[in-house]
Amino acid sequence: MEYRNVLTTCIYCGVGCGLYLEILDGKVVGTLPAKGHPVSEGKLCIKGWNAHAFIHHPDRLTKPLLRRDGRFLEAGWDEALDLVAERLTAIKEKYGPDAIAVLSSAKATNEENYLLQKFTRAVLGTNNIDHCARL
Amino acid sequence: MYEPRIIGYLCTYCSYPGADLAGTSRIKYPPNINIIRVLCSGRVSPELILRTFREGADGVLVGGCHFGDCHFISGNHRTAKRIPILKKIMEYAGIEPQRLRLEWISASEGERFAEAVREFTETIRGLPPIREILP
Amino acid sequence: MKRMEPLKRAVAEALRELDGVLALRRAWGGVAPHLFLREEELDELALWPKYPLPRTLQLIQRAHPESRLGIVARGCEERGLIEMAKRNQIDLGRIKVIGLACTAEEAQVCPCPKPYPTILTDIVIGEKIEPVANKMVEEFLAKSSQERLAFWKRQFSKCIKCYACRTVCPQCFCPECTLEDALWVETGRIPPPFPSFHLVRAMHTVGKCVGCGECELSCPAHIPLTTLYTLIRQEVQELFGYQTGESLEAEPPLVLPMEM
Repeated sequence: MEYRNVLTTCIYCGVGCGLYLEILDGKVVGTLPAKGHPVSEGKLCIKGWNAHAFIHHPDRLTKPLLRRDGRFLEAGWDEALDLVAERLTAIKEKYGPDAIAVLSSAKATNEENYLLQKFTRAVLGTNNIDHCARL
Repeated sequence: MYEPRIIGYLCTYCSYPGADLAGTSRIKYPPNINIIRVLCSGRVSPELILRTFREGADGVLVGGCHFGDCHFISGNHRTAKRIPILKKIMEYAGIEPQRLRLEWISASEGERFAEAVREFTETIRGLPPIREILP
Repeated sequence: MKRMEPLKRAVAEALRELDGVLALRRAWGGVAPHLFLREEELDELALWPKYPLPRTLQLIQRAHPESRLGIVARGCEERGLIEMAKRNQIDLGRIKVIGLACTAEEAQVCPCPKPYPTILTDIVIGEKIEPVANKMVEEFLAKSSQERLAFWKRQFSKCIKCYACRTVCPQCFCPECTLEDALWVETGRIPPPFPSFHLVRAMHTVGKCVGCGECELSCPAHIPLTTLYTLIRQEVQELFGYQTGESLEAEPPLVLPMEM
């Protein structure tokens, strides 16, 4: 039996409120505002109060899924990445790099977003990259 | 010329037949009231009353059975406690508590119902229309 | 009177017979609730700022119903536990309360009528101080009806409908909250239309609000909610003779039939 709070920053808007994720027996169960935090001052907006909701959500993907015969079937990482590399290269050759766009997420870390935009610009050769917080 | 709109929530077993008796006995009372029959005055929740004011009612009349006569035994006890405290909350919020009135009317008290409606309509006529308080 | 050392000793002693004690822990430059399991962890015990601990205790107890837990509770937290127990939200039989009295500075932040616990525990760490009066309540009572209306309209126009007041309240346990029901509180409008959201909330605190002040401390718009809820608590006392959190035996007023 364990209950503890881990200090982190809210993943949503640019204010960056400090909040605690409540962890009960290894699972994230709730959020508490960080009292005394210089930015959030112990208060959160409704998105901050629910910042934990997506972590253990049943709709989250846990394995790569490939579409075969109109259905999504589980596949291994190697098979999935080989297919992605093969198809993206083919599209880039046939239609040009600007036929490809990449959508990232504000819930990902800065480092992951940097990597993705480098991949999009340097490897794919297009500027078509955006993420959910800009929408 | 300002004609107040009053909504009356009358319980099925006592106050609604009382109002009905006023009608069949041809006792005159002002037409400003619209009656809504509910099963018991205990059904009238604070949310319902506040929504009624938001929708444009200048006054709300709640009619219930006398103590000991409630068809559902203790429904009118709940109302007897809820309405005074809701009136106090309205008073603290700056909404005139006279807009909400609780009457105990039995099925044989047609004249009493009419008298209550006459008095209440005059009280509400003396208050500003609700749209000036709650636009 | 210094409270940290006596509190550490009391918690260490409690840990010998309990599975864990819920209190505040200092880590990463801040303070947050923590379930202390071992005496070694008590170096990080903290006292302020306070958090709504009864809620967390209920969370842990629901996950581990057979466990024996302790909680370091202030006056308001003890009142919160009593009211929760009356409504079957928490099992006090498996809980040991270690009392903590608030200092004068702490009581200034959230003035309440009794800043120390007296009912659920004999152990109270710290000096019991005189209750601090809520000045905003006195100022408010002097206002006329029109001034009151203008005051609340201006205050409630700042509301961003974050539901913090509802989420931190130790007494708000309904799985389906009326405030989320589009029938009573119109959705899709910020600020939520006056008076629906806030007066429904005020009505639902009747007989339940213990005066912990967490709602006002968590409101991002700095709405003085405790001013309204303190006045309502005084009315409940006058009308029904019921004081929240004062006794485990007194039944909540709104569910009882009237005395004839």
